[in-house]
Amino acid sequence: MLDISELTVRYGKLTALEKTDIRVDEGEAVFVVGPNGAGKSTLLKTVAGLLRPAGGRIAFEGQSIAGGAPERLCRRGLALVPEGRHIFRTLTVEENLLVGMMIRRDRAAVQDDLEQILGLFPILRERFRGVAGNLSGGEQQQLAIARALLQRPRLLMIDEPSLGLAPLVIDQVYASLKELNATGLTLLVVEQSTARVLDLATRVYVLRGGKVVLSDTAEALASGDAMEEAYFGYAGQADA
Amino acid sequence: MMQKSSVIACLEKAWPVLVLVLPLLVAVVLADLYGSVLLKRTVTDALIKIVIVVGLYIFIGNTGIVSFGHIGFAGIAAYFATWMTCCAMMKPITMTGLPDFLRLETYSLWSTALVSVAAAGLAALLIGLVLMRLSGLAASISTLAALFIFHAVYANWDNVTMGRASIVGIPTYVTLWVGLGGAFLAIIAAYLYQISSYGLAARAARDDEVAAQAAGISLYWNRLIAFVISGMVVGLGGVLQVHFMGTISVNAFYLNLTFLTLAMLVVGGMRSLAGAVVGVVVLSTIADVFRRLEAGVDLGATRLSTPTGTQEMFLAALMLLILIFRKDGLMGRRELRLPRLRAGRARAAQ
Repeated sequence: MLDISELTVRYGKLTALEKTDIRVDEGEAVFVVGPNGAGKSTLLKTVAGLLRPAGGRIAFEGQSIAGGAPERLCRRGLALVPEGRHIFRTLTVEENLLVGMMIRRDRAAVQDDLEQILGLFPILRERFRGVAGNLSGGEQQQLAIARALLQRPRLLMIDEPSLGLAPLVIDQVYASLKELNATGLTLLVVEQSTARVLDLATRVYVLRGGKVVLSDTAEALASGDAMEEAYFGYAGQADA
Repeated sequence: MMQKSSVIACLEKAWPVLVLVLPLLVAVVLADLYGSVLLKRTVTDALIKIVIVVGLYIFIGNTGIVSFGHIGFAGIAAYFATWMTCCAMMKPITMTGLPDFLRLETYSLWSTALVSVAAAGLAALLIGLVLMRLSGLAASISTLAALFIFHAVYANWDNVTMGRASIVGIPTYVTLWVGLGGAFLAIIAAYLYQISSYGLAARAARDDEVAAQAAGISLYWNRLIAFVISGMVVGLGGVLQVHFMGTISVNAFYLNLTFLTLAMLVVGGMRSLAGAVVGVVVLSTIADVFRRLEAGVDLGATRLSTPTGTQEMFLAALMLLILIFRKDGLMGRRELRLPRLRAGRARAAQ
C-alpha cells in the first residue's frame, strides 16, 4: 500500500532522514519507533505532504506521491494525526469533526460514519457542543483521531498517540486503534516509547539518526531484546 | 410541535445577526426622529465604519492574520465610484488620464456601487494571489506594503486621481438609512461567510495550520477567499464613505483610517462578529462625547471644555486598558446567542 524507498529529507544542511526504506501493506499496523530526533515525525510529515523530500520515492497504492500537496494526499486516502494533539482549540468538538468531513463528497455516508465514530469515542458525544480546547489531553487525542477517521482514510498515520497521556488513557487510545485495525484500516504509527508497541503492531521499524536500524515483524521481535538494543544503539546496523 | 422547533432552530441560527441589526435599527429610528443634523451625521459615519470594520473582521477574525492593507480596497472602490459619478463638467479637464468611458460619462449610483465593489474584489484577488502564500507576521507586513503601494500610486497619478488634491462634487446619497442598509449587508455577508464551510476552514487554519493541512484544508485558497470577500465588503464601505462625504482625497484612505478601524476591531474583539460591531459603537460613542466636550459644555454662566486632544488620549488609554485586561476585546471570542433557548435545550438534554 505504502512503499517508501531511499527517502531523504533535510532541514537546510541538517539531514533528518537518510535513504530510509519503509513498507506498509494493506491491513497492517506498522510502528516506527525511535528516540528523540530519530526522524519519526519528519517521516510522517513527508508522507503527508507537509515536508518536501530531498530525494527518494514515496508510492501510495502504486502511484508516486512524493512532494504532493497535503490536501490532495488527503483526498487520495491518507490521513495524518500530527504529534501533540493538534486540534482546533477555539472550535467546538462538533466543528472539529466537521473539518474532518470537509474533503468528503459522499454526504449521505458521512452521518453514518459520524455516528459510528462517536460510538467508538463516546466522550466526544458528551462534549459535542463544548469548546475543544477545554478537553483533557486524552480526549483531545481521541478528537484528533476521530477527525482523521472522518476523512475515511485508507491509511491512517498517527504521530505519538501516547505522548503526554496517563497510562489509563493510553490504554483507551490503543484499544481504539486495535479496534480500528481489526476493521481493516491500515495504520502507520510513530512512537517514542516501545512499551505498548508489540500489543498492536504487525511490523516494527526502529529509526536512529534518520536511518532504519532494525525492521522485523512484531512476532519475531516479541521473543527477544532486539528492538530495545536497536533503539538504544547497542545493536549494529540494520539486518532488515 | 415540529413547526415550533423548526422556528426556534431558524431563530437560533439567525439570532447572532438579529441581535446586531435590531439595536442598529432602533438607533437609526431614534436618530432620524429626534436627532440633530450633527447626530445624524455621526450615526451615519458610525454605520459606514461598521461596514469597514465588519469587512476587516471577515479576513482578520477568521484567518487570524492582521491586515493593514484593506483600507486600500476601500480607496480603490471609492475612487472608482468617484470616477463613475462625479463632476461631468470637471472630469474631462482635471482627470485627463481616465479612459473615455469614465471621463466622458457618468453612471447610475447603483451600477456604480456594484462595479466599484467588484473592482475592490478584483484588486483583493490579484493582491491576494501573491500575498496569501505568506503566513503570520510576514502576511501582515506584506498587506501594509500593499497599502503603501496603493497610496504612492494614487497620490502621484495626477491626471487620474488629481494626486493629493481633493476631488469635490461627488453625489451624496448616503443617509442614515442607506448607511443602515450597508451595515445590514456587511453583517449578513460576514455571518453567512462565518457559518459556511469556507469560514470554518479558515478558522481551523487560524487555530492550527499543521492540523488544518493534515485535514485536507488548503491554507492558500481558504485565505484567498476570505481576503476577496472582505476586500469587497471594505470596498462597499469606501463607496458609502465617498458618497457620504461628497469629497475624496487619497489621504482619507491611508494610515489614519487603517489604525482607527483596526483599533475598533481590537477593542470590540477581533475574533467575533459582534465584537466588530460593538467596537465601532463604543469607540464612535466615546469619540463623539469627547468631541462635544472639547467644543465646550454650557453650565449656567460658565462654559467648560476639555483640552484639545483629550479624545485621542482617552481612546489610547482605553485601548491600552483593554489590551492589558481583556486582550480578546470587549466581546472576547463570543457571539451573542439566544441564552434562554440554549438553557432550555440543555435542560431538555439532561
